[in-house]
Amino acid sequence: MIKAVMVMNTQGKPRLTKFYEFLVRKRQTQFSLFFFLPCLIRAENVSNFMEADSIFGPDSRLVYKHYATLYFVFVFDSSENELAMLDLIQVFVETLDKCFRNVCELDIVFNYSKLHTILDEIIFGGQVLETSSAEVMKVVEEISRQESASNSIGLVTKTVSGWRNR
Amino acid sequence: MALSGMRGLSVFISDVRNCQNKEQERLRVDKELGNVRTRFKNEKGLSPYEKKKYVWKMLYIYMLGYDVDFGHMEAVSLISAPKYPEKQVGYIVTACLLNENHDFLRLAINTVRNDIIGRNETFQCLALTLVGNIGGREFAESLAADVQKLLISSSCRPLVRKKAALCLLRLYRKNPDVVNVDGWADRMAQLLDERDLGVLTSSMSLLVALVSNNHEAYWSCLPKCVKTLERLARNQDIPQEYTYYGIPSPWLQVKTMRALQYFPTVEDPNTRRSLFEVLQRILMGTDVVKNVNKNNASHAVLFEALALVMHLDAEKEMMSQCVALLGKFIAVREPNIRYLGLENMTRMLMVTDVQDIIKRHQAQIITSLKDPDISIRRRALDLLYGMCDVSNAKDIVEELLQYLSSADFAMREELSLKAAILAEKFAPDLSWYVDVILQLIDKAGDFVSDDIWFRVVQFVTNNEDLQSYAAAKAREYLNKPAIHETMVKVSAYILGEYGHLLARRPGYSPKELFTIIHEKHPTVSTSTIPILLSSYAKILMHTQPPEPELQNQIWTIFNKYESCIDVEIQQRAAEYFALSRKGASLMDILAEMPKFPERQSALIRKAEDAEVDTAEQSAIKLRAQQQMSTALVVTDQRPPNGMPAQPSIGPLSLVKVPSETVDSNPGDQGLTHPNGVVYKEDPQPPSQDIIGDLLGTLSIEGPPGAVAQSPQSATYEAEGAPSAADAAALVPVGEESGSVQPIGNINERFYALCLKDSGVLYEDPNIQIGIKAEWRAHQGRLVLFLGNKNTASLGSVQALILPPTHLKMELSLVPETIPPRAQVQCPLEVMNLRPSRDVAVLDFSYKFGPTMVNVKLRLPAVLNKFLQPITVSPEEFFPQWRSLSGPPLKLQEVVRGVRPLPLPEMANLFNTYRLTVCPGLDPNPNNLVASTTFYSETTRAMLCLVRIETDPADRTQLRMTVASGDPTLTFELKEFIKEQLVSIPTAPQRPQGPAAPPPPVAPASQDPGALLAGLL
Repeated sequence: MIKAVMVMNTQGKPRLTKFYEFLVRKRQTQFSLFFFLPCLIRAENVSNFMEADSIFGPDSRLVYKHYATLYFVFVFDSSENELAMLDLIQVFVETLDKCFRNVCELDIVFNYSKLHTILDEIIFGGQVLETSSAEVMKVVEEISRQESASNSIGLVTKTVSGWRNR
Repeated sequence: MALSGMRGLSVFISDVRNCQNKEQERLRVDKELGNVRTRFKNEKGLSPYEKKKYVWKMLYIYMLGYDVDFGHMEAVSLISAPKYPEKQVGYIVTACLLNENHDFLRLAINTVRNDIIGRNETFQCLALTLVGNIGGREFAESLAADVQKLLISSSCRPLVRKKAALCLLRLYRKNPDVVNVDGWADRMAQLLDERDLGVLTSSMSLLVALVSNNHEAYWSCLPKCVKTLERLARNQDIPQEYTYYGIPSPWLQVKTMRALQYFPTVEDPNTRRSLFEVLQRILMGTDVVKNVNKNNASHAVLFEALALVMHLDAEKEMMSQCVALLGKFIAVREPNIRYLGLENMTRMLMVTDVQDIIKRHQAQIITSLKDPDISIRRRALDLLYGMCDVSNAKDIVEELLQYLSSADFAMREELSLKAAILAEKFAPDLSWYVDVILQLIDKAGDFVSDDIWFRVVQFVTNNEDLQSYAAAKAREYLNKPAIHETMVKVSAYILGEYGHLLARRPGYSPKELFTIIHEKHPTVSTSTIPILLSSYAKILMHTQPPEPELQNQIWTIFNKYESCIDVEIQQRAAEYFALSRKGASLMDILAEMPKFPERQSALIRKAEDAEVDTAEQSAIKLRAQQQMSTALVVTDQRPPNGMPAQPSIGPLSLVKVPSETVDSNPGDQGLTHPNGVVYKEDPQPPSQDIIGDLLGTLSIEGPPGAVAQSPQSATYEAEGAPSAADAAALVPVGEESGSVQPIGNINERFYALCLKDSGVLYEDPNIQIGIKAEWRAHQGRLVLFLGNKNTASLGSVQALILPPTHLKMELSLVPETIPPRAQVQCPLEVMNLRPSRDVAVLDFSYKFGPTMVNVKLRLPAVLNKFLQPITVSPEEFFPQWRSLSGPPLKLQEVVRGVRPLPLPEMANLFNTYRLTVCPGLDPNPNNLVASTTFYSETTRAMLCLVRIETDPADRTQLRMTVASGDPTLTFELKEFIKEQLVSIPTAPQRPQGPAAPPPPVAPASQDPGALLAGLL
């Protein structure tokens, strides 16, 4: 299963973190640094794999991909195929690209709710949910419609907070 | 594009972005947290929109790495909002901020269930996602049936069904006992006929989870998997959106081949033939292309196909074709392929006998040691380590030594350890081994752990032929101008011990040896000086007749150190000085070191710890470890000096005599006791490590706080004085004990908690201590619930954990007072380091009015909590069982005085202790065969096999055989099972007098903590 997903920029700032396996908070916060420092000294044209045992325990693999100012990092265990995970990063990024039309770091910073929505349509509880970026886009567009639809209704019923008494 | 129009959030994010440094950022974040906190406090005036905005801010802050310890309730409450945007935020943020044990989640179960069974598909999706990410036991109990219904419903859209499949997978993985999957085999088979590839991918993942647990039930799915694979490989009826860079859904292909690897074999010849056709097509038809993404995808499929071919034990021809492919991969330009090529070659090494073909690639693998990518270098090192045997050890070890000087610092320690182990395991002759280790110390002294030089000393001590060779070598290295301190240690030790064997050679006279060792004296640290002093004393002893000049020189040194501030050095100097004036008796006291008892190399153990063990590979690795240990260089087993041979793994006989004991009766013990010389001579830290090293994993130390004492005195202690060792007393200590009596039987409560994960540990009229535990592999999290039953508060509350050495425990802060009628929760983190049956003790005290109450309670962090049930098929069981041949990995014992139990009840007992009984493996109906996986930090996941042979005529006796890949584990597990089978004493048992034998159930360890636990 996939244990964690992280997006961070080339300055080491996390842009998205999501953990699918319980990890104590201290380890969670160490993750970005743990990945970032060794990554800095990695040469060009090396593999996309790195060790991750010291944070995630035995049987952890890490694969990352570098796009412009962002790193996309997936951590997973031996039940997943390494290259398939690398492909999944590509699907994630292609979906973002479709969603934001040439995605850049700023899109991600200011729309991180959308990032969560998209990620939830690709990975579910640490398992691969959907691998077709076209399918993911369909769902995301549907969700956006829902959001704006209920926003307009929201104007009418804004004062009603009866839900709390349900 | 602003975030759904939430301006405040965008402003906050750009503020944080504009912060110049970490400090500014922290200030800004703190300000925002304060703001959010106050807004949440006066919740009345908060609109759902505002709530949503604040909750997003919390998540953003949390992601940046700051702790957010409030507002969880608000996030959870958004889940029940009627409108989509709020609800969505509630679900997403809850899933990120909370973990499955969070109490607030329980509040949401009803809403979540309503969303799941409701008609609104988007709500269904949100709810399923939450459950799939953090759903725990309660969710499984109340929702599993609903989720199953969704998955097979024909009216649901694929979007919902694929989520339902993965949600079910999560619930099943976490709580297989709650989710009922009886009869799911047929449904799974139907699901595999699904045309929608999204649903099919999810269903395939679900199948993997189900099959990995019990493949027997899912045979009917196997042909369907092969069909799916054929459909994909031939690109039949694959929609465009599921074609990734021209390849029909590589993920589904990979998952399908993964699922097939959980079936032990493919029996049906037709299915097998079509499967091999597909595999052959994948193996042959994959080329390296320019597009990176396409390349990755096609190779993902290819590597999975390779793994499946290996698993299916194809004909040798196909196997060699695979090795040939891998050989091609490890030389390609694309680094990912090189990396995976090396990794898969290592895997291949373990499963099949293609080692000879792999060896042909040795040169290329050695080149990979110099790859620019450290990840690849690591894989190359692993592979070289794995493929090394007697035939190529010399080449490989010499390559490693050469590489050592240029290797990265991050790798040097591992590298030197591996070189040392290979040299030890496959040495064509022992002098080569000594050469290698000395070279290793010479080249990378900083990275050579003490274990390595201890081991070479052991070898030299145990092999007489080697002693003069080693002494000559040591002398050579000492000639060098600048040598590493470890080299000084090992050379001084060897020359002191065996230098006299070469006394006739030029340059080896006592005086010359002394001079050359003493030259290094100014350069060494205090840890080496004791070794030098010992060497001098030995040289002095071997100088017959005595040379007054040398004697004076050495005496001057002893004199100088008699006032050394380091007590170890001071004591040695003083004692050696006094001893060396005793003339002939010196010879007896400083006689040659006795041989070390033979045992598993600490190095090999260490390397095993360092290796990553994967759940799937553990069985394979077990076999590999087995091969390793038989390949050990075995030296003379018989120790001289009439010293009784210590069994390498009976914790019974291994007693660490701490230096304090030696100190307390100075001189005498060393002078009179022939073996005492072992301790007497080198009681300083490094050499104690030698002793500790001898004891290996069983190194026995008292728990912190408990007094480390020799076993006997510990027994006395337990009987008499109220010291830390007196934890044996279960009842409250002191006079007041009469006034507060526990409610219920503490022992029974403990034994009950050994079998379940929550319940009451202790109760009296004032307090109730409940416990809730959760176990994951070798880690556990216990929560102690301290509930005050009174209307007055309890003061001076103190909880101390006395952990045994094999458990690492961290108890969070316990408040000093518990308010009236309040309950305090104290989480306790547990990590299991090694197999052991010792039990942790909670020393708990509180004050109620004038009465001080103190109880010592055993904590149910017992061996079986680190077991995980596993079902083993005959195909897996028998090769394992056979490969673990004989002690110490397989132990057998006839147990008498067993509590008579009918066989089904005994099987139940085993299952409750998480030892899965595998029926049908043993043809004799009176026998039981069980398997389980044990988790600890040192052993990782390790398969354990148990066989019980009962005698229908006499139910009170049986023969038990336990096997695992780790000697200590085998022993501990055997004893553990024995304890459960022999009736458990319920009354606290205490020895009657100082001479009373230790209680029969836990005689194994002399650890005071263990002793206590045994007495309880």
